[in-house]
Amino acid sequence: MAYYLGLVQLIGIHTLLGLSAYILMLTGQLSLGQAGFFAIGAYSAGILTVIFQLPILPALFIGALIAAFFAFLVGFPALRVKGLMLVVATIAFSEFVRLFFFNLSWRVPRGDIVVGPDSTNGFREIRYFVANGWSAWEITAFVWVFVVLVMALLWWSDRSRTGSVLRAVGEDELAAQSVGVNLTAVKVAAMTAGGFIAGIGGGLYAHTATYVDHLTFTVLLATFAIAYPILGGLSSVFGTLVAVIFIQGVLVEGLRFLGDWRNIVFGLMIIAAMNLKPSGLFDAPTARILKRAIGLDERGKTGA
Amino acid sequence: MGDFWFEFVDITQIVGDGLLFGATYALIGIGFSLIFGAMGKLNMTYAAASLAGAYVGLAAFTFVDAPALAVFLVSALASGLIGFVVYVACFRFIPINNHLAALMASVGALFFVDEIIIHTTDGSPLTFPAMFDYVMLELGPYGVRGDLLFVFAVCIISTVGLLYVLYRSRLGLATRAVSQQDVAARLCGIDVHRTNAVTFVLAGLLGGIAGAMTAAAVGVLSPLITIPLTVKGLIVTVIGGLGSIPGAIAAGLLVGGLENVFLYFRGVNERDMYVLLLLFVFLVFRPHGIFGSAINRD
Repeated sequence: MAYYLGLVQLIGIHTLLGLSAYILMLTGQLSLGQAGFFAIGAYSAGILTVIFQLPILPALFIGALIAAFFAFLVGFPALRVKGLMLVVATIAFSEFVRLFFFNLSWRVPRGDIVVGPDSTNGFREIRYFVANGWSAWEITAFVWVFVVLVMALLWWSDRSRTGSVLRAVGEDELAAQSVGVNLTAVKVAAMTAGGFIAGIGGGLYAHTATYVDHLTFTVLLATFAIAYPILGGLSSVFGTLVAVIFIQGVLVEGLRFLGDWRNIVFGLMIIAAMNLKPSGLFDAPTARILKRAIGLDERGKTGA
Repeated sequence: MGDFWFEFVDITQIVGDGLLFGATYALIGIGFSLIFGAMGKLNMTYAAASLAGAYVGLAAFTFVDAPALAVFLVSALASGLIGFVVYVACFRFIPINNHLAALMASVGALFFVDEIIIHTTDGSPLTFPAMFDYVMLELGPYGVRGDLLFVFAVCIISTVGLLYVLYRSRLGLATRAVSQQDVAARLCGIDVHRTNAVTFVLAGLLGGIAGAMTAAAVGVLSPLITIPLTVKGLIVTVIGGLGSIPGAIAAGLLVGGLENVFLYFRGVNERDMYVLLLLFVFLVFRPHGIFGSAINRD
């Protein structure tokens, strides 16, 4: 049971990671830096609960703020230029963060042991949940409160002016600009929000895993982050959730019998998916067909 | 006075070695730039494919005992072939204006190539034959490593060869036409898909040489090089100005030289961090790169 709860926690955390890329992708931008923001959130929140002994909520919040700050810092120069520049800047940033934590050693004595990030050996002892006697159920519920909150917030904002502005920039920058949308401001705002969400996800990850090291936050993780919304399509936040459940729940667990070959299949599947469905597996037409099939879309019934 | 002199010699020696090694970064940067120039897209698989080419060359050396120069030839051909396959798999059938899908597909191919390498080698580093590493030229207080000089020379020869193809052949004319205005090129009867495929193969050939050069200069081939080489290649491309070949050369040498300075002052663990910071310095102060045009083509 504990194993499945762990999987449910992981799905929740990866949904946050995917949503952090999703909000930026609404504006038509692709970031390979989500792993970096995730890492900043993870290490910051971990350091705050372990070294500064803050409770979990303020630690998560401050960690997410730090991640958002760096997202702003990276996004601002990169987004002024052009779309592909952001890909390069964020992949460089992600590697920079990884190398930074690879080098970071900040050990403090706590009781009879020494705790804190220990460069290559990673950051162990993030044992807030254990120390405070949280059960696996409580931890899972805690993670999913954040997932539901973020999804609700994004779902709601998608139906407000914010969502229209984001999607307008993503659909046609020139048209958006000509109706008075400040492109850089919108993209940087989306980037910052994405950094915040990834930061929360990272903080939760560090505390559920109790151990992080620099190898957790590679370009592969950043690829997962953008693979979820690409696979799930950008028509709604639920696409990302479905994609995470599909990849983490079905593929990663289901393909376990393939052993090491699983990662090769992962690369091939991305290529195949992009060739067959360039705008995502659950793109707008597919979503409409699905909705019609399960009777959610009223237009399909009355319109014909 | 003496101390200062020795330090000065040390640092210039280090910068010189770095400049010579930077030629490999320049080649990788040129490859990214060629493809970006032709299609306006990033081929994230490029550096991994270059190293994969070097692995094939190494296999030729190990199993058939191929002579040193043939190793480079085999590397280049293998990488050119991989370039073609990557074009067909990740770019040919994806809509021209869908940048994200093509980028994502090539990231998928990057992991695919990387995993194949890890599987066939069990993830352990392999020794790569060095060329002329017994040669050491003495220039006053300086020593020039033979293997690095060889790397530099091959890089110059291949760059000149590429420029010749680009500017003195019908093929190059077609490539440049497509990169300037693909609609106009199509109206003139140029087969855009064929030209793009040729660009990928050309870039691949160059990449194979660069991959083998990197391996020869470092002395080992390891899957651990893939991502750093990809990132450095991309940084060189951006610093040089997206799509600019002279820019990629200048930026490659700059990154190579500075990298060694960072190595000297801060050690191997922190070296790459400063190279990455260099990108942000350029993004803030010179976002269009050294030779990039100020046109915002997305």
